[in-house]
Amino acid sequence: MMRATSAAILLLALTAQAMAQASPVVPTFIEETQAAGINAVFDGDWEYMVGGGVATFDCNDDGFADMLIAGGSAKATFYRNASERGGSLRFEKQDSGLELDAVAGAYPLDVDGDGVTDLVLLRVGENVVMRGLGSCRFERANEEWSFDGGDAWSTAFSATWERGAQWPTLAVGNYIDRREEGFPWGSCTDNWLHRPEGGDQFAPPLALKPSHCALSILFTDWNRSGTPALRVSNDREYYKGGQEQLWRIELGQVPARYTAEEGWKPLRIWGMGIAGYDLDFDGYPEYFLTSMADNKLQKLSGDASRPDYADVAFAKGVTAHRPYVGDNLRPSTAWHVQFEDVNNDGLADLFVVKGNVAKMPDFAEHDPNNLLLQRPDGTFEEAGDRAGVASTAIGRGGALADFNLDGLLDMVVVNRWESAQLWRNASEDAGRWMQVRLVQDGPNRDAVGAWIEIRCAGEVMRREVTVGGGHASGQSGWHHFGLGEEAEAEIRVIWPDGEEGDWQRFDSDGFYMLERGAALAAWTPG
Amino acid sequence: MKRFATAMLAGVAMSLTLSAAAHAEGKTIGVSWSNFQEERWKTDEAAMKAAIEAAGNTYISADAQSSAAKQLTDVEALISQGANALIILAQDSSAIGPAVENAVAEGIPVVGYDRLIENADAFYLTFDNKEVGRMQARAVFEAQPEGNYAFIKGSSADPNADFLFSGQMEVLKEAIDSGAIKNVGEAYTDGWLPANAQRNMEQILTQNNNDVDAVVASNDGTAGGVVAALEAQGLAGTVPVSGQDGDHAALNRIALGTQTVSVWKDSRELGKAAAEIANQLAEGTAMDAVDGASKWADGPNGVEMNAIFLTPNPITRDNLNEVIEAGWVTKEVVCQGVAAGTVAACD
Repeated sequence: MMRATSAAILLLALTAQAMAQASPVVPTFIEETQAAGINAVFDGDWEYMVGGGVATFDCNDDGFADMLIAGGSAKATFYRNASERGGSLRFEKQDSGLELDAVAGAYPLDVDGDGVTDLVLLRVGENVVMRGLGSCRFERANEEWSFDGGDAWSTAFSATWERGAQWPTLAVGNYIDRREEGFPWGSCTDNWLHRPEGGDQFAPPLALKPSHCALSILFTDWNRSGTPALRVSNDREYYKGGQEQLWRIELGQVPARYTAEEGWKPLRIWGMGIAGYDLDFDGYPEYFLTSMADNKLQKLSGDASRPDYADVAFAKGVTAHRPYVGDNLRPSTAWHVQFEDVNNDGLADLFVVKGNVAKMPDFAEHDPNNLLLQRPDGTFEEAGDRAGVASTAIGRGGALADFNLDGLLDMVVVNRWESAQLWRNASEDAGRWMQVRLVQDGPNRDAVGAWIEIRCAGEVMRREVTVGGGHASGQSGWHHFGLGEEAEAEIRVIWPDGEEGDWQRFDSDGFYMLERGAALAAWTPG
Repeated sequence: MKRFATAMLAGVAMSLTLSAAAHAEGKTIGVSWSNFQEERWKTDEAAMKAAIEAAGNTYISADAQSSAAKQLTDVEALISQGANALIILAQDSSAIGPAVENAVAEGIPVVGYDRLIENADAFYLTFDNKEVGRMQARAVFEAQPEGNYAFIKGSSADPNADFLFSGQMEVLKEAIDSGAIKNVGEAYTDGWLPANAQRNMEQILTQNNNDVDAVVASNDGTAGGVVAALEAQGLAGTVPVSGQDGDHAALNRIALGTQTVSVWKDSRELGKAAAEIANQLAEGTAMDAVDGASKWADGPNGVEMNAIFLTPNPITRDNLNEVIEAGWVTKEVVCQGVAAGTVAACD
């Protein structure tokens, strides 16, 4: 990439020592957990060994991302973002109606298309959809929307709007049968597909059989067909005869799994989290899958006619299979994962949250979270320790989001048995950036399923707008792009129905609202 | 990515030249370790290396550092370095398949070391886990031929746990059928953790009002948990307890009389056997013609393989000297706190 390359040349010129390849700018993160007012523990015994998510979303329309942290056996905690632009991070705990117990994960989305963000709370027990009322107040909507929350150990979530649908389709991944504590192996329970019924209700959930103890699921348009498929990452510790799954979910059709004959090769991992991103600018996402020991980075082997993926994690330097500081004798346990550009150099970086299940003796006890920076040649290097985020608490969920609207992505990590942690990105030598929110009329207001394209310096960066994946942690709000040294660039959106918007020029270092059919509009806080 | 691959190949080519020049005569045995930083493999390696070199062959190795993906490239590199036979300790037996297939395609035989690689083209070498279970049950049965038995099994996620249990049951079946022995409680031990074994044992004791006469525990870690539970009830030393692995603490318990047996798998024997199998295979010996090889198909997928199962060694008070003489553990450790004149090996 042009801008990355010029940054690299500059770096090389400044560095006396000749280097084999350019090193990315290492971001600076400062932990502000206590000062920001965060004190939220993911607590609980056996049935909370997985989960521990965080949702970031703006529920008072001020542009700042607010936050819900799952509490496990304790109540979930809602924090209103009280940060000032460019300032240190500050959150205020306040009653929102979201303070339920037994919450394992949370995903924001606008279910009813009223322009106010709703939340789906994944629980050990009944799942609950919470309707946003504005001003960060929420109320239960299971009955109003005929949402059957069931009574399972729900651990994964994703949402899509099937073609032409007036109401979203929700997929919920479920784990082992929690009543089988004595012998949970082989007791995986069914995943559910909640499809619409009429224009404003959910039909009874459809079981996605077979289910193999899902810990992350994601609707994603892997082949750019215009219809997302459902990726399911499963925990091999507990299934018998299971594997990773990719489901064809087509309007009016019974869901069907892609088979080995169709190119979907059997893969057995301790699947915990999914993140997709078009890392190599070829228009198709690569997928990172977290696991125990080796993690996977999957890239299409051939063209997009077959879901045939090769693991390129080792070649790219992202197996991240054991701790990079301290005790590196035993392998790692990885959970939440997200691709974002933390140094704004125009290349997506990789954030992985780590933590032992509890005290599994064969796995690292002190397992630092990863921040892997992408180099211009597409390989990654570990920078978690240099960036100041190598926490060895027992991590689970997490998020990268710009909490103080300074263009730099900050970090939150949820931990088992101790407080979540918050870091402010205080990098001084990061590149330029832009952030955008999409709006369209109709039911799918936030344009889930759209592709955002940024064109500059002869390359096109793309991100798919999704709800789901990671580990029990979801986000809505700004979509962030790092732009390297580019002072301006162009943006267009391919809307969920396939319509391509026009290319529109914008200045770097700003926030923009992109309403379908309207001109790109600059946005400033306050 | 492209540049990376080229650089790696260059490195491999260089070491190939060196090893080919230095050892034109003998065969090269390539060993792929899953995680060589784990202390226990160093003993295996020393025995393996000695037996390979004694045959005039060359030992080369690679360490996957717990990464199944790295192990695939390690095996490729060992092949590029001219390995005539491979010994693989798989990091992930479900992911090692492509490496075995590559080796087989190049005509290079593979020995699956200690951990099963269920592939008809691989040789399987390990200790006989069913025999471990039998030995555990035999030693406990000898000490307590009747009464209430508890079974503290291994982790249910580990296929070895069921091998062990089936071996135990084989020995005790007759006595159970005749009513001489009663199974008053059995439990899997999540993660093989001593703390979980202790909790399970406490529950079994409570359920039976402490009326438990013998405990068949599947390894020394779980035996430690069992003995702790028995101690709390004043029963340690009166109830026979089995184990395996020759853990230092367990050997001390045997000397003290709170544990009956620890079935010991001498990793030097395993390393030596692997080397001898690989030496033969490198010379072109067919897998089914390897000394001592037999057919085996009891893996999860029922694949028929050539295999050798070494017989383990049950260590009791009577032969504690064997582990000391082998240098596995010092006399001081085994005999700590042991009253003089009670155990021959400690005098």
